[in-house]
Parts: sequence; C-alpha cells; structure tokens
Amino acid sequence: MTTASPPEFVKRPTPVRKANRAIDERFGTQAGLRRNLNKVFPDHWSFMIGEIALYSFIVLLLTGIYLTLFFDPSNTEVIYDGSYVPLKGVEMSRAYASTLDISFDTRAGLVFRQIHHWAALVFVASIVVHLFRVFFTGAFRKPRETNWLIGVGLLILAILEGFAGYSLPDDLLSGTGLRIAASIAQSIPIIGTWASFLVFNGEFPGENFLPRLYVIHILLVPGVLLALIGAHMGILWHQKHTDFPGPGKTEHNVVGHRVFPVFAVKSGGFFMMVFALLALLGGLAQINPIWMFGPYDPANVSSASQPDWYIGFLDGSTRLMPPWEFRGLGHTVPAVFWPTAVLPGILFTLLALYPFLEARFTGDTKSYNLLQRPREAPTRTALGAMSISFYLVLLISGGNDVIAKTFSISLNAMTWAGRIGLIIVPPIAYAITKKICLNLQAKDAEVEHHGIETGIIRQLPSGEFVEDHRPKPTPVPDHPQVPTDRFALPAANGHGDGHGKGLARRAGKAVSGFFVEEKETGPGGPSTPVGGGKH
Amino acid sequence: MSDQTGPGTPGPAGSGGGDQPGDSAQERVHYAGYQGEPADKSDQDSMSSIFKRAKHPVDTSGAPAGGSGISAGGPDVPAGTSDGPEALGTPPHQTDSTRDPETTVIRAGDAGVAQPTYGERAGGGGGVTVRPPRAEDVDRRAERRAERLIAFWFLISVVGTVGFVITNFVGDKHKAYYTPSLGSALGLAVGGLGIGMILWAKRLMPHEQAVQERHEFTSSKEDIAVTEAEIAAGFADTGLARFPLLRRTLLGAGTVLGGLIVVPLLNLTNSKPGKKLDHTSWVKGARLVTEDGRLVKLGDISIGGIETVFPAIPVTESDGTTTYKPKMDLHAKADSTTILIRLPPGVDRPRKGRENWSIDGHVAYSKICSHAGCPVSLYEQQTHHLLCPCHQSVFDVLDGCRAIFGPASRSLPQLAITADDDGFLYARNGDYDEPVGAAFWERS
Repeated sequence: MTTASPPEFVKRPTPVRKANRAIDERFGTQAGLRRNLNKVFPDHWSFMIGEIALYSFIVLLLTGIYLTLFFDPSNTEVIYDGSYVPLKGVEMSRAYASTLDISFDTRAGLVFRQIHHWAALVFVASIVVHLFRVFFTGAFRKPRETNWLIGVGLLILAILEGFAGYSLPDDLLSGTGLRIAASIAQSIPIIGTWASFLVFNGEFPGENFLPRLYVIHILLVPGVLLALIGAHMGILWHQKHTDFPGPGKTEHNVVGHRVFPVFAVKSGGFFMMVFALLALLGGLAQINPIWMFGPYDPANVSSASQPDWYIGFLDGSTRLMPPWEFRGLGHTVPAVFWPTAVLPGILFTLLALYPFLEARFTGDTKSYNLLQRPREAPTRTALGAMSISFYLVLLISGGNDVIAKTFSISLNAMTWAGRIGLIIVPPIAYAITKKICLNLQAKDAEVEHHGIETGIIRQLPSGEFVEDHRPKPTPVPDHPQVPTDRFALPAANGHGDGHGKGLARRAGKAVSGFFVEEKETGPGGPSTPVGGGKH
Repeated sequence: MSDQTGPGTPGPAGSGGGDQPGDSAQERVHYAGYQGEPADKSDQDSMSSIFKRAKHPVDTSGAPAGGSGISAGGPDVPAGTSDGPEALGTPPHQTDSTRDPETTVIRAGDAGVAQPTYGERAGGGGGVTVRPPRAEDVDRRAERRAERLIAFWFLISVVGTVGFVITNFVGDKHKAYYTPSLGSALGLAVGGLGIGMILWAKRLMPHEQAVQERHEFTSSKEDIAVTEAEIAAGFADTGLARFPLLRRTLLGAGTVLGGLIVVPLLNLTNSKPGKKLDHTSWVKGARLVTEDGRLVKLGDISIGGIETVFPAIPVTESDGTTTYKPKMDLHAKADSTTILIRLPPGVDRPRKGRENWSIDGHVAYSKICSHAGCPVSLYEQQTHHLLCPCHQSVFDVLDGCRAIFGPASRSLPQLAITADDDGFLYARNGDYDEPVGAAFWERS
C-alpha cells in the first residue's frame, strides 16, 4: 500500500487551470480552496430540511425580483381598466391594480406571483420543521447555541416578511390583516397609539403606508435575512455539521461526502428539485387569488378570513382569548394585547433561551457533535411535544370557524374546546411523550441485552416454550439507527422480502430500491448488489 | 432533565463511561497539536494521515481498541478477518492526503473483488464502512444504462425550457392553460436537471465515505493568555481607565447620540394621535347614506333588514339650500362605517338615557369591531346577534350591542339617529359618544 505521490505541476495549463493560477497569484487560494472542497458533509435525510429553507429563500429572491419590476406599491386610487372584466371600473389602489396586471396582463406574471407565494409558505414551513429536527436531536447544544439564536431570529423575520409580503397587494383580505395589525399596535400600553400612528403615518389606514411596507418587504427584512442566513451558513461551515452516531462516527470526526464533487452535485440537484416543486405548485395550484377578494374596503370583509398558515397561531390565540380588558386609572389595556404581543413574546423568548435553560438545569456544559435520538432525551422530547401541541391547538383554533362550518359544530363549542384544550392538551402530550420515550429506551436496552425477538417459538425438551432471540445486527452506514428491532420474517409467498406478489412485488422492490439502492436479504446475511447476480 | 442520555447511546467520548479511554488529556493534546504545532506539522507531512489516525484511535462504539484497521476515525476491524484485505486492497483515495490530513476518503474495492457483507465488516468494530459496489460499478452495461437515463432527464429539462419559452411568447396569457403550462414547463426544466443531477451523483459518481477530523474550538491556554494580555495592554493604552472624565463624557456623548434614533422615528408621521381616535366623520344632522349613494329613509328597510351606512355631511350651498355630501373615502370608512338594523317593534331594550336614540325600530351601531377593528358583518336575524368574522366576537343587538361571546369586551358604540319630516334618517347628536374600533391605552 503506497500513498500516491504528489501530482506534477502541469506546465501547459488548460484555461481552467490558467484562471485558477491567475486567481491564486492574486489571492493565494489553493490551500483554502482545497480545504473547503474536501470539507465533509454527513448524509442524513433530516439534514436536508434546512436546505429546503435555503433553496426556497433563493426562489423567493429570484421570483421577488421579477415581481418588483411590475409591482407599483402606491396607495393612489385609480379606476381599474385591465383585462379582468368583473373589476373593470372599480376604484382601487395602484398596488391592487398592478397586482391584477401582474396576474392577468404580464407575461409569466401570475406563475411567478404564485411561485413566490408558495415559496414563502414552504420557506416558513421548512424553517419550522428544521427547528424541530434541531430541537429533538439536541443539535442546538454547545457549541451551536449561537446558530440556534440566529435560527430563531430567522424564523421571526420570515414570519414578519411573509406578513409584509401578503399585505402588499392591498386586497380585502390583506387590508383586513393590516387593520388587525394596527389594532394590535394600538393596544400596546403607553406607546400604543403613537406606535400605530408612526407605523401607518396617521390614523389607520394612514397616508402612503404601502411604500413603507414595500421597503420593509423588499429591502430591510430581506437584507437582514440574507445577512443572518450568511452567518448561519458560515457558522455551520466553520463548526462542521452534527451527525448521528454510527459506524466509525465519533465526537471528533465527520463522515459523509466531500463538498466536491458529490455533495455539490447532490445539493445542486436538490435545489433544482425544490425549485421544480415550487414551480409546479405555482403553475398548478392556485394561491391567494386576490382578484376574487376585491380591493381593500374597511367597511367590508369576507367571512372565513384566514391569514397565511404561519400567522394562524396568533389568529387562534386572539380568538381563544377571553374578553379580559384591564381598565383603571383612566387607561385601558385591551384584550388583544395579551394573545398577540405578550404571548408570542414569551414563546419566542423561551424558544431562544432553550439551549441555555437546558444546559443550566441539566448542568451539562460539554460540547457535542453527535446527535441524540429523541428517546435519549425524554424530558426534552416531552417538552417539545408539549410545545408543539400548544402551538397546534392555537393553529387549529385559528381556523375554528372553518372547522365549525365544515363539520357543523357550534362555533362557541369550538372556542371553548380550544380554551380548555390549550390548558389540558400540552401536559397530556408531555406525559405521554415522556412515557413513550422511556419505554423505547427500555426496549432498546432489552434488545441490547437479549437480542431481537424472532417470532419463532421453540419447545424445549423440558416442555418449556421459549422464543428465539437473535443478536442485534450492527448498524450500517446508511441506516445508523436501524435495524435495531425490525427483523425480516420469511414472507408467506416464499420470496422472503415481504414485498407481495407480481406487479406489486416488483413495484415495492423498485421503490425500496430507489431509497436504498441495494437490497439486503437480511441482517447479517449475504448482500447482493442490484444486478450483481449476472457476473 | 437528568436522563438525557439513554442506554445504547454511543455517547461522546468520555461521557459514556464504560471501557472507553474517554476524553483524556492525551487526546486533547493531540487535537490541540493538530492546530498547527510545528512538530506535529512535520509529522503530518511525512506520513499518511491514516497512520496518524491509527496511532490515535478514537472510538465511541465500545469496540476493542488497538486493531490494526486502517479505517479512518476509529479502529476498523480485527486483523486477519476477510475484510482486512478488502480494505487494504482498496487504496483509500487520498486525493491530497499528504497535504491535507484532515480528510480521508475510503472507497469500495474494484469491480469483481468479492465484497464482504456489512455485517461481517462492521461486526468487528465501529469502523467506517462503505457500501458494496453498485451494478454500475461492476457492469459496464449498467453504467451505460445509467448514463442514458441521466441524459434522458437532462433532455427532459431542455424540453421543459423550450416549452416555457414557447408558452411565454406564443401562448395567450388570457387563456386558462397559460399559467399551468408555464408552471409545468418550468417544473420540467429545473426538475429534469435536478433529477438528472441526483441520479448522476448516486449512480455514476464513486461511492465513498470521506472522514474529516473535527477541531476543538477551544484555544490553547497560552493563546488565550497572550490574547487577553494584548487586549488588556491595548485597553490600558487608551487611557480609559486612567481618565475618568474622558470615559464619562465619551459614554455620555455616545448615549446622547444613540438617542438620536428617536428623531427619524418620530418623523415617521406628521399626524399626531391627539384625540383623533376619539372621533369619526359623523356630525350632527349628517344623513345616513348607503354605499351606492342612496340616502336612507324610513321604510327603506324592512323589519329584520340590515344596511351598512355612511355619513352624508350637510353642506350649505351659496343659495342657502342644503345638500348632503356622502363621505366614503377610506379614512371615513375606516371609522365611520355604521350598521343600521330595523328591529321588530318592542324587542329592543335600549340602555338608560338612550331611549330616543332609535326611531321606529331602526338602531344604528358602529360596524367597526370593538376588538380589533374588523367590520362586524354577519347578522343573525333570529337571535339578533352580530358576529365579527375575524375573531368571532358576538354582539347582542337587542342589549345595546353588548359583547356576549368571544374576545371583544366592549359593546359596539351606538349612533343616535332620528328621522326628519321627509323621513330621512340622520344623526341627531352628532358623532358617537365614545371611540369606535379597538381600544387603546388613552381610552378610559
């Protein structure tokens, strides 16, 4: 076994090498370039959720730039004279009219508008799921608390950015949302009235508010988002990615693919896939059809007014809030202040502080690079389930009128169910989750000590029945955690792979082949590469 | 939360206990050394990183250490088993191992070499394992097939792009097919490329497991000491500690300058709140006008009917006559929108002092919800309840529009109306006697 000798310096370089050398002569890039190209990223499907967020953000930037070329963020009232007949002759703001023009009279306008909207929904959703992944695997632990804080900041900004974005078209739905936002600003003790007047430039609906919102949406918040995403990625790059425990994986190494070429090509392909999905959604699934809502009119509202999903939990908390308004000494603290300003303040503060709280209460201040399975941290997992159930009660309550109407339930009953559920569901979720985690731990321990149940019962000469156990198979690289307790039983059809018969069998094999590429005949058994039987 | 680490977890070195050497001082020295001590550096240059790693096995799996395995990151397998030769016979592709000892790449063996199974290979320890070769690695035809499949997807992408361009320029943007076609074509264009790229990486690029060392982030004690000393010396040079007047005035000036941020904030509006939230556009004598400009008279609304009305401001013309100018701009609509309901005779229970605020069963209440300012637009004729669609506050019209359910806590303000001799309804007292819409701090 010899190590390859260093490659020779090529004297007649190709254009690419020429460029490389030209850059190197000016910046001295070779060592750094090589180090970064050889950077290793671990493979796990859950690590791609954050990538979805990043890629939908890029799609948001691309489609957003296109939309800015046609959108006119102006409150000036005009009479619509575009090609959407039902609204011809209606007075509306230029913002709304230009959004109609984008939708009906601009080439590829509607498809990019809808891609933009879908990308925003996916952006926030993937941030939330990414947050779940980071939370439940303990990826936020030292030394990664800073990135957790940045991530929480990104989530808050993404929600704000989304709200600003869907408020821009100045349609009936978004205008109603802005009115509620103004009422929330107004509800803040002491400074509320001023805050509302400063933001909206006067009493709602204010003067020339849309240009302000536009600058917030296309410059301020995206600028901060971009900077924070850069910091998030930079820190990730510098600290290296966490990984699940597995064969050969330690606290002191990363096992996976190098950036160049496999990871780069795979990630590039994944970006394309995210983009493609958003393009298909934007083309085939209608979203935010503002022409059906009509221009904003403070005197009108459509029933079942629903915000985008990420605002839904605030809508829900507002609906569930009892009419508790504090009055005294000539002042008022309105009921709307608690569920819309105080509650999210508390929730996001707790979220941001969680890594520090956990470190403090467990006394664990060590650095970790290997992730945990949710069951390994039952209290944390139970707290997470509790928080998610709390959030879900709020989210469902945000659509309680739709649910009440769809299922013919009394709206009052839905509201009360939400109020009571908000208090009793989270503790139940906590208790159940913790129990499940502890039981899974116990089961893992049993498999560790006794092996896996095979389902084969034998009778001993003494007459006693025992079940055969087999030792736990060793994890394989692609499945660091499984198989632990799944054991392939001989299938009834004799094929032995549990895939049924005929077409269904072939389809099942093809799908699982797509996921794992190679089929194992069984843990510990001989492994045959696909097609390998031919040689 | 003491139970964060469960059984069966390969915990971090040193935390799991057991038979592991743990995060010993020796290891720390080793990793600190990695960060650029000259002696270690020359060591790296002179030998392959693999031997280095074998010298410092780090394993969390509980396997017996000290194997002669070459797998990076940990002892691989006990010497002498069948997979030893496999790993050895597969020279790790250390593209730059002599210069960059951080990353080691391990690949599956050449085609035709019998591959041991996962189980056997991994059974010996916690070493990094590579997948057995794919069909593409051992079968030239399979490789070609994969290449053709990938090329097919790239061509699909071209088809999608062409379709997008054609639809964009030739398609009729007012037809129903336009947007779905553009979206599908774009989806094909980027999706085809994406699928092709992923297949390319999965099917044709060599399978490998690359192992990269992590660095400790903590600097050496010497480094920390020197840096801290330099910063302390620099701070001493500034004299901030020695000259308290300088320090205090600097702090003061900075604070005052920071306060300057308030100026642009306050400049955001020229419209001070004042008492603006207390008033609407309603004036004494203003008639009630519907959205389409019709002045409302007695008898226009049938019993149980409802109408959204706005103020029509009386203007005295030069010839002495009075005309009524509807006020329906956005600002007026935002606070003056009023809901006019004609109740059946005798059901209304007016509040004390408001007995004559209605006429012939016609009552007028603000349409702006007292909770968050949405228009209260759903009227239940049977129960005489008004429902706000935003947060489902319910108001009882018969009881002075008292809030009876949901998050609203205040009644909807009532507008005193009456009718003149011609039957036109008008505001008899002028504006509402309390602020409309959402509550605020200054409100009592």
